[in-house]
Amino acid sequence: MLWLYLHFPHLLLDHIRRDRQDQRPLVIVEGTGQHVLQACPEARNRGVQTGMRLKTAVTLAPELGIVRAQPEQDARILEDQARWLYRYAAHITLVSPDGLLAEIGSLQKLYGGLPAVWQTVEQALDEHRLTAWAATGHTPLAARLIARAGKGECTGDRGHILRTLETMSLATAEFDAKTCTRLQRLGLNTLGEVFALPAPELARRLSPEILAHIQKIRGTRPDPQAPWQPPHSFRQQADFVQEIEHSQGLLFPLQRMLSELEDDLCWRQQDTDSLHLILQHRHEEDTRLRIRTSGPEHRADGFLNLIRLRLEQQPLRAPVVALVLSVKRFIGREAPAGQDLLGKSQDLNEAWHTLISRLQARLGDHALKRLSPQEDHRPERAWSASEVQSKHKPRLTNPEHLPRRPLWLLQGPQPLTEPPTAWFSGPERISGGWWDGERVHRDYYIAQLRSGQLAWVFRDVREGWFIHGWFG
Amino acid sequence: MSELLNTLMQDARVWQGHRHNKTTTPSESTGYQLLDNQLGGIGWPRGALSECLVDQPGIGEIHLLLPLMQRLTGTGKTVFWLNPPHTPYAPALAREGINLDQVVMIQTGDGGDFLWTLENCLRSPVTGLVMAWPGKLATRDIRRLQLASESGSNVCVLFRERRYTDQNSPAALRLELTPGDHQDLKINVIKRRGSWPGQRCSLAMAHRADLAFRETPQVVQGPWHQSRR
Repeated sequence: MLWLYLHFPHLLLDHIRRDRQDQRPLVIVEGTGQHVLQACPEARNRGVQTGMRLKTAVTLAPELGIVRAQPEQDARILEDQARWLYRYAAHITLVSPDGLLAEIGSLQKLYGGLPAVWQTVEQALDEHRLTAWAATGHTPLAARLIARAGKGECTGDRGHILRTLETMSLATAEFDAKTCTRLQRLGLNTLGEVFALPAPELARRLSPEILAHIQKIRGTRPDPQAPWQPPHSFRQQADFVQEIEHSQGLLFPLQRMLSELEDDLCWRQQDTDSLHLILQHRHEEDTRLRIRTSGPEHRADGFLNLIRLRLEQQPLRAPVVALVLSVKRFIGREAPAGQDLLGKSQDLNEAWHTLISRLQARLGDHALKRLSPQEDHRPERAWSASEVQSKHKPRLTNPEHLPRRPLWLLQGPQPLTEPPTAWFSGPERISGGWWDGERVHRDYYIAQLRSGQLAWVFRDVREGWFIHGWFG
Repeated sequence: MSELLNTLMQDARVWQGHRHNKTTTPSESTGYQLLDNQLGGIGWPRGALSECLVDQPGIGEIHLLLPLMQRLTGTGKTVFWLNPPHTPYAPALAREGINLDQVVMIQTGDGGDFLWTLENCLRSPVTGLVMAWPGKLATRDIRRLQLASESGSNVCVLFRERRYTDQNSPAALRLELTPGDHQDLKINVIKRRGSWPGQRCSLAMAHRADLAFRETPQVVQGPWHQSRR
């Protein structure tokens, strides 16, 4: 077994920096806001250093962006990284708060050698604009220690790894302070010296737990790792240092998130038809937007166009501090059915979805209606309007059996104010609705008005005359 | 003087009315032979605006477009009804053989949304026909729509009131629709491309209420009492 450990020295910083358009200095401060935990290169150029007091840092760089670290945020960001790493390696373990462990011994054959695996991961890290210290090791702990010490190398040679470990100091071997002191009092300064001691002596003088730790580093004791399983959903979050006041400013981070969504969907070989967008505000309740496409979609620019339309329609209620994009519904990608040689029919289908999605995004889902006849004798109930969703819906109609009806139906019957000049057919008695309380008892006629219009008029029980439709 | 005229005649820049060139604009037959003849055998122009100037509903104005709707929905093109004044009645449309899966009704709010929606529909390759009731339209807006319709190749019919007849319009075809005496539809061609306007015809539309078999309209004497109303 060979393990790869990725240590992210400033994960939160990387996470925030990639959604920033301007490159102003940025630091991460600890929860109490006293000391600098992580500083970006721009800040370091100004002399800001890790561990420095915040006051000193602000004096050095007055326009410094400051972000407070939150432990729960770290876990979420780490999981984001695990999600992309899962595309390359199957056996992944999350090491909180800032490390990922992947088993790569079994991948060498797939990628064609250890250097190829290493290169693939480095390339992916580069794409995601992450800083990581990587190392390989014959045990999980060995890989972790070497990575955290920054001495990582791409090697599968057990002897070489052990030699690297032996030169490392006790402090970097993650012993607690008390053990460190005890070992130093024994005259031991490097891991190699500890390794040289006989195991029974170590267990007797120190403790069996410390012996286990040492044996796990060396690989003489098994160290099983539970594999991490990716969730069946997509979630991306962008946190902003400066609040975003205009929806235009959201488009830049959205572009990145959507292209990651596209990658994710391509990798899953799935599509989606609804996105959830949560805009978090500092003092107000979150704005939740649901972006729907009328058909399965996976392309980032398709989604981006819809979101842009939606944001144009709906101005921001308050400045945005964070943006979350999540997708829970996945649809299996269909093989293009019935496609002709030139691919024309498929294009039309896609164009239809694009058009309907665009219209729905701007006008709202309820503005677009599809009409269908219903099985009822009452004219008001003999039709229905439903939202336009998917294109093909099998529907049983036998149009020959439908009675003659006008092409226009009025929203509600309107009183007939003048006597018609001519009467044509009728009466057609329609009586029903006693079962649901909306009783209709009418005699319908076709009549021509003085203006030349052909009207569908009725007389109801109360002896009133009404126009209900036009023969347009 | 005649020399001057001759020079002008020879000049290719002067258009002469008697030399009528057949235009080859893409178009859709109206489905009414009589009207097609009046329109020079073309019909509804594709990739251009058409206007129907009509004052009241119920004179057969939708029936004028039914053959086109039937044909388009049958071939999988979509028909949009944009801001219709009343509800297009689904049972009647289904009875006329229109595939309702291809019919979409859109209600928009303000004028901006209306123009945006119409433009989008016109530019899409899936659209076969757009029927729109715009209400008030500035000439500039019609110009904008005309440009949008040129980028697609679908039929767009705007239903406007007859008082706009005298207003200048960039639409390619303008028809004035008035009711006739025998439930027919009188059509006056106000403008068309490629030839002189002014043709008039009358289409029998009595079949829209199954009245074709009745010779005299006074078959059923309604129980109308000339009393209180």
